[in-house]
Amino acid sequence: MADAATTNPLFDLWRKQFEESAAAWARMVTQAQTPAPPPTDPMAFWRPVLNQGVEQWARLFAQTPATPDLAAQWKQFIDQWIEAWSKALGQVMNTDAYAGTMGRYLDQWLVAAAPMKKAGEQHIEQALATLNVASRTQLTAVAKQLVELEERLERMEDTLGAILKRLDDKERK
Amino acid sequence: MGQERFADVVERFTHGYGNGHGPDPSPEAVRRWQEELERNVKRMQNLQRMVTNPAELKVGQTPRTEIYKKNKSRLYRYQSTRTHRTPVLFVPNLGISRPYIFDLMPGGSFIEHMTREGFDFYLLDWGVFGPEDNDLSFEHCVTKILPRMTQKVLESSGAESLTVLGYCMGAPLSVAFLASHPEVPVKNVINMAGPIDFSKIGLFGLWLDKKYFNVDRFVDTLGAVPADMVKAGFKLLKPTMDLSTNLNLWWNLWNEKYVEGFNALNKWANEYVAFPGEFFRQWVGDFYQDNKLFRGESVFGGRPARLASISCPLFVVGAHEDYIAPPASVRALLDVVSSRDKEYVELPGGHISLIAGRGASLHCWPKVSGWLASRS
Repeated sequence: MADAATTNPLFDLWRKQFEESAAAWARMVTQAQTPAPPPTDPMAFWRPVLNQGVEQWARLFAQTPATPDLAAQWKQFIDQWIEAWSKALGQVMNTDAYAGTMGRYLDQWLVAAAPMKKAGEQHIEQALATLNVASRTQLTAVAKQLVELEERLERMEDTLGAILKRLDDKERK
Repeated sequence: MGQERFADVVERFTHGYGNGHGPDPSPEAVRRWQEELERNVKRMQNLQRMVTNPAELKVGQTPRTEIYKKNKSRLYRYQSTRTHRTPVLFVPNLGISRPYIFDLMPGGSFIEHMTREGFDFYLLDWGVFGPEDNDLSFEHCVTKILPRMTQKVLESSGAESLTVLGYCMGAPLSVAFLASHPEVPVKNVINMAGPIDFSKIGLFGLWLDKKYFNVDRFVDTLGAVPADMVKAGFKLLKPTMDLSTNLNLWWNLWNEKYVEGFNALNKWANEYVAFPGEFFRQWVGDFYQDNKLFRGESVFGGRPARLASISCPLFVVGAHEDYIAPPASVRALLDVVSSRDKEYVELPGGHISLIAGRGASLHCWPKVSGWLASRS
């Protein structure tokens, strides 16, 4: 392994910088609810994270000797990067604003999907009826009947069991 | 490069960027490079095999017998020495995923562990529901299916009482059943990662809040919750999960054992199961939105479900990094039952790694079997 004394501070620095950049990004997203003028630089949104990443990679490659340990360090850095992003995304998703937006989108989708789904099902039903083929609704109805039949049989079994038990008890007495 | 001689490039490659007469690499460094090279070759071989010739996976290999079936649900009894007299009924989640995760592969199976420890182990497999089951509700499971399953366990085992072990959604299902059927001869209850207090449920609780999620419109429009939508919901909960899973796969791709475990787990992780519509309506409405069971307002088949009526020994297991059933929501069961013998442990891992995988075999399984052995 590479010298722990040189790599550990580097890891800490890396982790700290990424956590800070992820937190900055999360703040930007959550604060973006108030209308703001459009950014002039299209990369402005991602720049804090990218800059941090590039600087750290540059420092890392300048300081670390090329050994197989580099792969392990790379894996560790990527894990930390994913973890930092996971935390940042978790913070964003754990807000009322996010839940509200998701709920609104889902509602809009359901409102739009309901008539389309109904029309599609009717169309398919008609087509299958023309071809004299059983439709999904008909097959579902048959399956439901089978389930109900099973329920009835079960209830009959229970009743028979109870009667037989009583008869047994009587015989014993 | 154009001005360079090829020999110079080779020289630099083999002797570094010094003056060409730098120190030779140490034998240790050479060995590590060789190891790394071998690993990369194995990675490529395994990747090629995974893509071109995926192995047929055998999951759920612990021998078992089907005791009873009701509609899609099955009750299985596993072979074991049955040194403990009290049978264990394992109630997993309904919908979402298949229960073979608990018996994933030999050497990595919770069920195999429990049978090896001498428990008479029963698994309730809720099954995969179709559109004909859209009317199946939470209440139906509590008042029709669970009473029947417990009766069959007692009949086939010949025991007078049983242990009920609920995992994930299986825990609130079991607890709701036991609280509304106090006559059931239950000897012990175990709650593994099963949320009880839904005011502490985390992200899902926020997303499914009444303010943002109209469960009636959802169920009325779709009829059921399709498997793909269940999958999307869980993926959204941890968006970086796939990335880290694939990264870890690449990193460990040289390791045959890891690849074998990954394949089995990956098969399970991508096999989502739909929710029956009415079940989802009641599950989200009564639990996530109204927290009725914890607040003592649930009624099943005309019977009130009072958690205080549970007085048998209780063992609750929470997972430290569980974001589906956060430990606080799981632990809450301890505060509302009237059991004197009750214990809570919080173990490392997440919702799945609590019960499946190497960590589970070290931390969770021995704890559960150890607690239960002295009470069975």
